[in-house]
Formats: sequence, structure tokens, C-alpha cells
Amino acid sequence: MTDFEPRIIGFLCRWCSYPGADLAGTSRIVYPPSLRTILVPCSGRVDPLFVLKAFQDGADGVMVLGCHPGDCHYLEGNYHAQRRYALMHRLLEYVGIEGERLLIEWVSAAEGGRFAEMVREFTAQVSELGPWGGRRVDR
Amino acid sequence: MMKVTTKDNLTAWLDKLARGYTLIAPKAIEEQIFYKPVARSSEIVFDFAKADLPVKEYFLPSTHVILSIERQEEGIRVEEPSLEGERVIFALRPCDARALRVLDALFLEEEPADPYYAERRERTTLIGLACREMGEECFCTSLGLAPDDASDVDLMLTEIEEEYAVQVVTEKGKAILGDLVLEKVEGTPPRPTLREEKMPILEAEAWPQHFDHVYWARLADRCLSCRLCTYVCPTCRCFDVRDYETPNRDIERLRAWDSCLAESYRRIAGGYNPRPTKVQRLRNRFYCKFCYYPKDFGPIACVGCGRCIAKCPVNVDIVEVLEGMAVL
Amino acid sequence: MIDKIQAKAKELLERGQVSCFIGYEEGTRRKVRPAFIYEPQDVDRLIWDERCTYNLAVYLHQFKSPLKRGEEPPRVGILVKPCDSRSLNVLFHEEQIERKRVYIVGLTCEGVKVNGQLQERCQRCSERVPLVYDLLVGEEPNEVGQENYADVARLEGMSPGERLAFWVREFERCIRCYACRQACPACYCFECVAEQLDPLWMGIAIDLPQKQFFHVMRAYHLAGRCSGCNACEEACPTGIPLSLLNRKIAKEVEALFGYRTGQDAETPPPLATFKKEEELPL
Repeated sequence: MTDFEPRIIGFLCRWCSYPGADLAGTSRIVYPPSLRTILVPCSGRVDPLFVLKAFQDGADGVMVLGCHPGDCHYLEGNYHAQRRYALMHRLLEYVGIEGERLLIEWVSAAEGGRFAEMVREFTAQVSELGPWGGRRVDR
Repeated sequence: MMKVTTKDNLTAWLDKLARGYTLIAPKAIEEQIFYKPVARSSEIVFDFAKADLPVKEYFLPSTHVILSIERQEEGIRVEEPSLEGERVIFALRPCDARALRVLDALFLEEEPADPYYAERRERTTLIGLACREMGEECFCTSLGLAPDDASDVDLMLTEIEEEYAVQVVTEKGKAILGDLVLEKVEGTPPRPTLREEKMPILEAEAWPQHFDHVYWARLADRCLSCRLCTYVCPTCRCFDVRDYETPNRDIERLRAWDSCLAESYRRIAGGYNPRPTKVQRLRNRFYCKFCYYPKDFGPIACVGCGRCIAKCPVNVDIVEVLEGMAVL
Repeated sequence: MIDKIQAKAKELLERGQVSCFIGYEEGTRRKVRPAFIYEPQDVDRLIWDERCTYNLAVYLHQFKSPLKRGEEPPRVGILVKPCDSRSLNVLFHEEQIERKRVYIVGLTCEGVKVNGQLQERCQRCSERVPLVYDLLVGEEPNEVGQENYADVARLEGMSPGERLAFWVREFERCIRCYACRQACPACYCFECVAEQLDPLWMGIAIDLPQKQFFHVMRAYHLAGRCSGCNACEEACPTGIPLSLLNRKIAKEVEALFGYRTGQDAETPPPLATFKKEEELPL
């Protein structure tokens, strides 16, 4: 599996996790290029449909990163996200998408290093799982 | 005089066919029967009443790519996928075979012919299997069909205890007989048990007078406006064609089943929908089958297989509707 | 019990308290089907027996608009079993229909049968009395089942590869007929995401990835809203065990949030609310 480059989609919130990723970039911290980021205003905006569609269209792993609980710019978004993804995690596991392919975490705008570490760990985790087997069939 | 073959000879012949053709035969999946490609005769279910879904899938696929456009280094590559290989469908019931004739009236006999349907029809040989009796929901005889009608298949098989009578109907059927061991015996294949009562079918011209009758509103009350009846029906044939971009940014033109019962079916650009209510859509389904299709293309678009009756979750029963129309 | 039901329906219709009474009637070929009674003299069509598996709450959606412009939306009477009554609570809470416009005849239930066999969900049902009603008909049964989610646990016990193979085998038979969605009282979106063209979620293809997506998404949208009435699984023409999906979610919702669908019309479902201090183990 060493030459398998996983495709990871990350939904990063505008106020905390995206600036955190920016900080990692400006601080020249190296992390794997497998992550493609999608900017959303808040982790609460991430509709579970996005996660499912990401898997269907080729993602091997999905990250949903928001502000720490209590710090959400819109006050409540991340609490909703937390509930949604706790449930989504279990549902995905049940239908044959390993739970380790979905990560929900809280990253603040000051945690550039932590962000990079998270991406590194998640990429390693997903690489080990390999490409997702239930993907779109090429006709 | 008839020609018969033993079960063993039949299975050996089918095994051989499966090597040279795509052999599609009844297969048990969970507790239901579907016509699926099989690799050997041991996968086939020989003792069954009627498959849960018709063979429509193999002539009008539920989804297929009719055009693909690939990005290349220089320019694009356009491809029109075509069917590969020849197919044989085994144990087709006469109603399902008649349904193909009904579809032919539109897809082959109307200009321009549908090339995707045409190539599938041409490259498929049909081996029929006569029914032993009529099912609970069957009403093929009311539509001028019979459970052992051989007119729409290439070869017709009839079960006689442990053996099968084989009747060659067309040249195509003769061509695949190969070395199937046949024995000439006295007699004729047994006829299936038919039901005496035949249902009255209102002729196409008489339907318009009942168009505004409250009968349709009362019937549609319980209809869920799903699509189940149209998808399990061997003669329902509406489809949609759309272009999509694939994840690697190529383009595919897909053709997939659509249903007149869907709320959005008749919606046109601009948002107008001439059939926004359930009543209109349900009524349309019956009118299409018994009034519009016969008027436009000839045959009644129903073969009496009864799948819609068996599967409808709320008991919208086409036989009940036909009986109701006859007395309005 | 049927006499009381018919008498009440007749009274409601005669007095003009409802425009329509929704119940069950004898269909063709020994099947039971939903009945819509508009005239008092037709109440004799109403039946109630162990074949009445269907959840009638789904029909309330067609009585949301006034029959004539300028009028009030119609009032309806409806017959519910205990499981169906939980669907009603969901609809009331989500303001899909006003409580005062529905007259609920609630039936105590000892279980319903399919082909003479008691349905599996009835064997483990712990509610034999409806949770919301205007008139209660029937005696509370002595025997009550116990929910144990054994069917879900069996699937959970498989390896991820086995589970994927299981669901692929099931979803392959799906023909995207939407009978499950249409039969469900909680699925009432004007335009389902499965049919949306902009944004495009699934497209029109009746292929495995789209079918997987549809079922997983639908199950997720029903989290905390599915009452376990089984209408979806019964409606499916190819016998896909949809209840296994919905029950998994119900089990997790209960474990994570201590919530069971439709106990009343006031408690918000768990995904519509949150708690500040909450540990949700992944």
C-alpha cells in the first residue's frame, strides 16, 4: 500500500480550522498533499450528504474540522456537527465504510502544528485502510 | 408428434450455450426470482411461477451509457458503446415475450427505430417456457394471450413431467439448437390449466368518455405516486436522457428509466406541469396502456402478467380498474 | 372493536367534524388496503383485523391544502396503531399538520400479520397502546414485547468487508422505484435530494453507487424521525431489508441521545438540538 495516495476531502470552517490550515502553510510545516480542502462557513454547514457524495465520487477519507466547542463563531454550529457526525460515523461503519475514514475534530486558528499533525495521522490511517471498496463502478 | 428432451440433456445443452453466449435465466436471489446472466445451468431455477421482474432490463436497460466523450491529450474521443456478444434468454414466459412485441411497435416499427433497443433485440434469442397454470394475478387470456403461446419466442419448451417438449418456432431458434438431443414421440404438449372467466377490456375508443369520472379520484386517494408499477411492468417504457460529468471529467450521456407517475415527469422548462396531481398521473397510466398506445401504435400496452397487482403496496389493482371501467 | 370504529367514523362524518375518515378496507385478492370514507353511509367498508399492517399517517400529507381556495384545510379522521401514532407525533411536532385538524382513533394492538405470520417487529414491540389519540378503542393487551435490536446486532457483529458485501447484495436489487420513500410518513420533501438536478446529488442512474447513496441518505434523514412502522420494507418490490438500516439508526439515537421517536409532539428530535456539555464517543 506504500504507493497508494489516498484522496482526502476536508471540510474546514472559515473561522477556525481554515485559518489553522493557513497557519500551518505560512509556518512552512510540511504535511501530506493528499488533503483537498473545501471552505465552509461553519462545521455546522457540513451536510451529511456532502460526506456521502465525497465517498461516492472518489474520496478515501473525509475530515470535518470545526472550532472547539464553545468557540463557534455562529455559537452553535459545531454542537450540531458533533451530534451529526457521531451518528454518521456509526451509520457509515454499519454500511461498510470503515469508521476510520471519517474524522471530526476541533482545530483552532492558532493550532497550525496540530492541524498538520492531524492530517499526517489521518492520511496514514486511511492509507493503511486502502482505497474504499464500494466506490462508483466504472461502466 | 412432438420432440422431447430430458432434463439432463437440456442442462448439458444450456451449459454449452452459456460458454458461447451470455445465458440469461431465472435465478433465485434471497426469496425472489430474477432473470440474470448465469455461468452454468446449476444456477438456474427451473421450477418457478413467474420472475419478480421482467426481462425489460435486457432490451431497455435501467441505466446505460449511450455516448461517452473522453478528454485526451489532444482533443476528445467520442464513443458510442454497443452491445457485446450474443445473448440467449432461457425460460421466458409467454407474457414477457409478448411484452417485447408490444415494445417493438414503438421502438422498432416507428421511424426512426431505437438503435439501442434494436441491437439488443437482434442479438438475443428467446427460449420460452410455457406456464403450467395461470397465477393468482395473471390475466393474459383476457388480452388474447395464452400461457403457452409460442408466437413471440424462437424456441418454446413445455414441461412434461421430467422432460421437456421442444418446439422450434423461428430460424433463429433452430440455429441455436446445436446438438441438443431430441426424441420424437407421439402426442402434443399438455395445455396449461386456464381460468374460465375472462375480463372485459374496454376498447380504446371508449376510454375518453370516462376521463373526468370521479372513479379516478377515488382510486388515486390511496396511490402513493411511487414508480413501482411502471418499473416492474414489462411494457412500461419511458426513459430520461441526461449528460453527466464523471469524476475524471469525462462526459457520459446516460439513458435511464423514468416513470409517468413521478411528480416531475411531465414538468417542462419554465416549471409548468400539466399533470401536477396524483389523480392525473395515475389516470394517465391506465389511459396510456389501454387508450393512447393502442391508438398510436397498435397493441394494448399490457400483457396481463399481474406484477403490478402483486407488488403495489396499496392494492391498486389493474383488473379491478378494468372491471370498473366496463361497468361505468 | 370494528363496531366502535365504524360508529365513531359515522358520527364524525354526519356531524361534519371531518371531511374524510382514513381507515382500512377489504381490497382485492384477500388484501387489505387504505380506505377513504367521505360519506357516513360508507363506513361499513371499514375493517380492522391483523392484516392491517399499513401506516396510514402518510395520507395526512394530502390533506394539508384546502380543497377549495379560501377555505380552511380539511379536517380528517384517522385510524392508528401504536406504532403509527408515533409517526403522528413526528408530523405534529414538525408542524406538518395541526393537531386540532385530525381526529385520531387509536387502536390497541396485539400485532399484525403478514401471510398469517406475526410480524417480527410486533414480536418485540413494547407499546400496545397508542401514544396520542382522541378515542381509544380496544383493551390494553397483557403481553408486551421487549426491544433488543438483535437483528441489528447480528449485522454489527460482521466484519466490515462482510457488511459491505451484505449491503451491496441487497442494494443491487433496488430499482429506485421510491416505493419506500413514498410509503414513509416522514418523507415529505417537495423535492427529494434524490431527484434534485441542481445541486446534483445522485443523477438518474439506477446503478449501485447511486442506490447505496439513496438508502444511506434516506436512513440518515430519518434519524430520530422514523417510528419503525415498516411501511418502507413492506412496500419494497424486491424485498430489501430496509428496517435493518433504520433500526440501526434508531438504536444509535437511543444510545447516544436517550431519545425514542414520537413519544410526544413537544420534545425536539436529537438532531435538531444539542447539549453544550456532551461526550459523544466516536
